[in-house]
Amino acid sequence: MDIFNNILTALPLIFSVNVIIAMVIGTTVGIMVGALPGLSATMGIAVLIPLTFTMEPLVALGMVAGIYNGAMYGGSIPAILLRIPGTPAGIATVFDGYPMAQKGQAPLALKISLVSSAIGSAVSAIALLALAPPLAAIALKFSPADYFWLALFGMTAIAVLLSSNPVKGLLSTCLGLVVGIVGIDAMTGAERFSFGNIELLSGINIIVLLTGLFAIPPAIDLAINSMTSQKGAKLDKVQEKVRWRSFIPVWIKSSILGVVVGIIPALGGNIAAVLAWNEQRRSDPDNDRYGKGEPKGVAAPECANNADTAATLIPALTLGIPGSAVAAVILGALLVHGLRPGPQLFRDDPEIVFGFMLSMLVTAILMFVIGRLGARAFVHVLKAPPALLAPMIISLAVVGIYSIHNSMFEVWLMLGFGLLGFGMERLGIPTAPAVLAVILGPMAEESLRRALLISGGSFDYLVQSWISWIIITMIAVTVLVPIWKRFKKQRTSRGSNGPSPQ
Amino acid sequence: MKTKMPITWLAAGLLSAATMGSAWAEYPERPVTMIVAYSAGGGTDVAARTLAPYIEEHLGQSITVLNRPGAGGEIGFTALAQADPDGYTFGFINIPNMLAIPIQREARYSLEDIDPVAQIVYDAGALSVRSDSDITSLEELVAEAKANPGTVTYGTTGIGSDDHLAVLSFERKAGIELRHIPFPGAADLRAATLGGHITMASMNISESVDDMEAGNLHILGQMAEERWENAPEVPTFQELGYDVVMGSHRGIGAPAGMPEAVFETLSGAVTKAVADPEFQEKSMQQGLPLAFQGPEAFGSQLETLNAELKELWEEQPWSQNQ
Repeated sequence: MDIFNNILTALPLIFSVNVIIAMVIGTTVGIMVGALPGLSATMGIAVLIPLTFTMEPLVALGMVAGIYNGAMYGGSIPAILLRIPGTPAGIATVFDGYPMAQKGQAPLALKISLVSSAIGSAVSAIALLALAPPLAAIALKFSPADYFWLALFGMTAIAVLLSSNPVKGLLSTCLGLVVGIVGIDAMTGAERFSFGNIELLSGINIIVLLTGLFAIPPAIDLAINSMTSQKGAKLDKVQEKVRWRSFIPVWIKSSILGVVVGIIPALGGNIAAVLAWNEQRRSDPDNDRYGKGEPKGVAAPECANNADTAATLIPALTLGIPGSAVAAVILGALLVHGLRPGPQLFRDDPEIVFGFMLSMLVTAILMFVIGRLGARAFVHVLKAPPALLAPMIISLAVVGIYSIHNSMFEVWLMLGFGLLGFGMERLGIPTAPAVLAVILGPMAEESLRRALLISGGSFDYLVQSWISWIIITMIAVTVLVPIWKRFKKQRTSRGSNGPSPQ
Repeated sequence: MKTKMPITWLAAGLLSAATMGSAWAEYPERPVTMIVAYSAGGGTDVAARTLAPYIEEHLGQSITVLNRPGAGGEIGFTALAQADPDGYTFGFINIPNMLAIPIQREARYSLEDIDPVAQIVYDAGALSVRSDSDITSLEELVAEAKANPGTVTYGTTGIGSDDHLAVLSFERKAGIELRHIPFPGAADLRAATLGGHITMASMNISESVDDMEAGNLHILGQMAEERWENAPEVPTFQELGYDVVMGSHRGIGAPAGMPEAVFETLSGAVTKAVADPEFQEKSMQQGLPLAFQGPEAFGSQLETLNAELKELWEEQPWSQNQ
């Protein structure tokens, strides 16, 4: 029982005063960074790295773990209160979280989000501690062909978002796909749609698009409303009773989904959250309530995006293969302390690795405590007068975007997307499909072309591995089941004399 | 932007004229900015931030690290080339990226605008295969590639990267043809190689050596003049009869046209910083292959390399961008 011995040696190390303080600070900073539009965990950790040069490795890594976990939860706060996802992973939380807040259930939504996030993080950390070495091998099995199918599977999540008005949804998806094309083509080196502009060569950053489409339109709305009303929204004082037990299946399903998505490099928390929301809605017989303020529609994505955090570190720590931008930055933080990720890390410095993995678990608990205390303060955002809130959101977005690459161009780009997003909302065009398409479009394109390069142009390569077949089956089920259901419903409504197939 | 340029230039000119007279006696008298052309937290950034405190110590001024990532480094190199040559801005430069960008597209900077100060790291290119591969030596690789031209797959970290250019140079010198599969980064490349999805990885020696020790990868050869001390059992390409010396150089560059005294102070501080035993130990921990070279040696190496890349481009452009 190597793992238990290692955990036992690491335990006293992380319960030293310095490490605890670092974790508390990290978690608090993480929640704030996640809550502010434009700032992300990646940036928070990247900024922190130089400050950790002189710290003990575990103090630094405890802080990193806190930021990582905290930011994932923090993203849900503005998503619920203001329909502005603080991080890309918060998009799905908007779907049900914001309608809940509109109904006066903001405190309840925040509580569900916090509990679900903490559970997701804890499950993920336990998966990391217990399963890291055996699970790591899975990450290597994925070929470019499998990645292509994965991206397509993610796209089915977009398709589901289109249900109410497919034409408008497709318009938004196409906008995302076009934005995803911009930049140097990774497979040939050709410049695409850069118009000779150096700032466009590396493509359009997803955070720029997200902040523009999601943070600016609500701010404009607030500003317009401030001319008619001076006061903010009211909060229900009534404490709602929640049957927490009914959430257990949601948490189990979403945690597993988050962990699996986390282990596969390149997918990340945003996809995990959308897939979990989608799955929750699909499996609930009463699925009309989703998107209108269903508590389980907040629990599923928040649990899944936090379950993604530690799981992303499984391939990162064991193989040195970071599955996301945050994981890559965390590897940088390890490197600063002379810890080189890979199999030898577990051999040479087990107490540090296990200490770090334990701190992912401890910060999940800390996040719950700090979040509980903070929630009382957060909801007051709703009471703030819109005339104050609107300029605050816009200036935070500007600062956040500028700090990504120190680029003024991206600030203008973000504001441009903001106006575009405002127009789209006025026309009833959903903005979420655009953001998902920017993430998944380039992934699908690149992996398909890479797969065909490897195979020398033969399409057989796309259906060679069992992983490909599993994902293809999943795509088929997701796409065909709703069609079959609708077909069945039409049949039964047209003539209900035949025996209905069970 | 265009209308602003003359004013900026004028202001820059006035500023440097005003500071030049008095500045060099007591340079540096205010904090210095170091431009890093890659994202915070990446390999180049970590190396730069590890070195920065030691330069600070020997320069006697604090250093602000400014990340200007994007366009494969072009944004950062352009910022460096356009900075005032007063010693208060210098930057980390990555070779061959800095040389390759102006060759493969119309770049916004020109090489004449950046003076080399020092080479800090030379991380040789290397070709590696999975330990269970049928190919066990460069000789077998060449034989296989000659028997089946264009079918052996190799991955790199992208079009025009040092990994890519290194294989192009090897293909040319060995008279073989391989199939290039570009990946977005070293992590994806390693995963695809370890997973057996491609035959071979072109990665720097420092990125491959841990996998070799763990028994996952077998390194066919390293593209350096001498074997790296952490991988003494891996032969160099030259030893095996292929004159390929290519890899990733990281160094310090400064905007051209600095007053000589300022340049001397800066390059002196960098030299002392790299020689600092504490820095040497930290680099050792991070697995950075240090290879210090002063301005002249580094500069002449860049010239040779630039000529070779231009020749390569003439024969076989590696990027489709017309």
